[in-house]
Amino acid sequence: MIPDSAVRLAHLIRTGELRAQEVVEYFLHRIKEKDEQLRAFITVCEKEALAQAQALDKGAPARQGLLAGVPVAVKDNIVTRGIRTTCASRILENFYPPYEATVVEKLKRAGAIIIGKTNLDEFAMGSSTENSAFFPTRNPWNLDCVPGGSSGGSAAAVAAGEVPLALGSDTGGSVRQPAAFCGLVGLKPTYGRVSRYGLVAFASSLDQIGPLTRSVEDCALLTQVIAGQDHRDSTTAAQPVPDYLTELAQPLTSLRIGLISGELLEGIDPEVGTAFERIINYLEKEGAQFEEIEFSSWKIALPCYYVIAPSEASSNLARYDGVRYGFRDQKVNQLRAMYEKTRTKGFGPEVKRRIILGTFALSAGYYEAYYGQATRARHLIAREFSSALKKVDFILTPTTPEPAFRFGAKADPLAMYLSDIFTVTANLAGVPAISIPVGMTKEGLPIGLQIIGDFFQESQLFRLAFLLEKKVEFRKEYNKII
Amino acid sequence: MASKIIDLDHVCLLAALRLTEKEKEELAPQLEKIVEWVRQIAQVDLSPTEEAAYPAVDFPAPMRADVVQSSFGVEEALSNAPERDKEFFKVPQVIEGKE
Repeated sequence: MIPDSAVRLAHLIRTGELRAQEVVEYFLHRIKEKDEQLRAFITVCEKEALAQAQALDKGAPARQGLLAGVPVAVKDNIVTRGIRTTCASRILENFYPPYEATVVEKLKRAGAIIIGKTNLDEFAMGSSTENSAFFPTRNPWNLDCVPGGSSGGSAAAVAAGEVPLALGSDTGGSVRQPAAFCGLVGLKPTYGRVSRYGLVAFASSLDQIGPLTRSVEDCALLTQVIAGQDHRDSTTAAQPVPDYLTELAQPLTSLRIGLISGELLEGIDPEVGTAFERIINYLEKEGAQFEEIEFSSWKIALPCYYVIAPSEASSNLARYDGVRYGFRDQKVNQLRAMYEKTRTKGFGPEVKRRIILGTFALSAGYYEAYYGQATRARHLIAREFSSALKKVDFILTPTTPEPAFRFGAKADPLAMYLSDIFTVTANLAGVPAISIPVGMTKEGLPIGLQIIGDFFQESQLFRLAFLLEKKVEFRKEYNKII
Repeated sequence: MASKIIDLDHVCLLAALRLTEKEKEELAPQLEKIVEWVRQIAQVDLSPTEEAAYPAVDFPAPMRADVVQSSFGVEEALSNAPERDKEFFKVPQVIEGKE
């Protein structure tokens, strides 16, 4: 029997009770069985994964690592040396990176096995995986629903048991929202906690790589492996990485909880609201103190995000010009026309929409009114967070206003953007936030709770998440996914 | 409907994108709606704030030592090039003339 817990799997492999090869073979088999329907993976690295497993079984030093022999799926916007990395875009369809992302290096050093690259909204722009240039991924709880996005492939793969752990990236909620939609634990670490070297840039001041797992323990373990300063990413902080797994089980010494005003919670799905209230009531019994937080800036966070993220994207995506890598339209024989045709054919509609929006917001005559204003709004958001987190230890919100929606339900781009209402603030302020599953709807879709904490307080987030996980006992629900 | 706020042709020129008339017609009202929506930022008093392009993470991020390190070799750097000529990336004609 192969356990689904990464902590347990790594232990069994380290002690020799399981061989890495049989573990990898088991999960490759799961992928073959499930992925025709789910389509969580863009690339499955069968050969490489088996070779890595065999090396471990022969006694490679990584066999004593924290993630010895544990298969990990990596979102396809994180570069893997020699393994195709597409960002789910036609423009990078045949891109084979000549270098490895820092997080992937760290995973391998810890003994993890990269089993495949997962689907996403093109360049991580979207909340449903419908914007993938290749195919959408389905939600394993209900195949007619989206798995969320943009890390939808990573979330679907873990929820369906195709892999025990996955990495996603979170620019405005792209780890937490799919975690909520697929019933998983998903962390967006503090900005600067995890190296972005090798994460294909979308909005550099907001992007963070984060884990998607079935348990808080596994999330702590994976965070432990990928966190830390990296000389190749100057925005990583020189903060020591605590032993998250050990700290997890320690009791919370203070439980002051901030709640955002009711106005922001108006219009959320009633079942999401009920699940949220149930958690609040439970925490009250546990002795938590509550305080309503005045956040005048929360309501402008989304518009602020939708100026800043596209602005940075328009600049970051200028590199796709058909010269050094990626797709090139070969039918034109002049440089400027080649740039334009390459980009027009290579990018999908949402990516073009955001490039245009960002280019507009940064253009002469509009910069101050749009980008300038948005960065001021961001300052206000950060300030309100910092004063709130002086008074409380955590801020709790639902992760999403509603559970997973059906394919095609959000054809209007603005309606799709509104799914990120609770998640974008943590990216703008830079603070860490975790989503954990706290219930199911009558229709059998998971509901997520978001816990936001102060800078570099991931340990605290894990502790509260761990406490709630024990109360909710969500784990048994995975048996419903066959 | 042409966008009243965004001069799409100008912005596409800046972004090196070439949209068809049909695409422009579809995109213009969507962008109009999004831009109208982001304007609500102005409803909040932002006078006591400064521009913040990055999160205010108050922890040291010291620079690394300025030491020369090895980088990609020429072959590696060219390995994904759509077109090359010996050790160079090859691009179409740069000076505009007849297409």
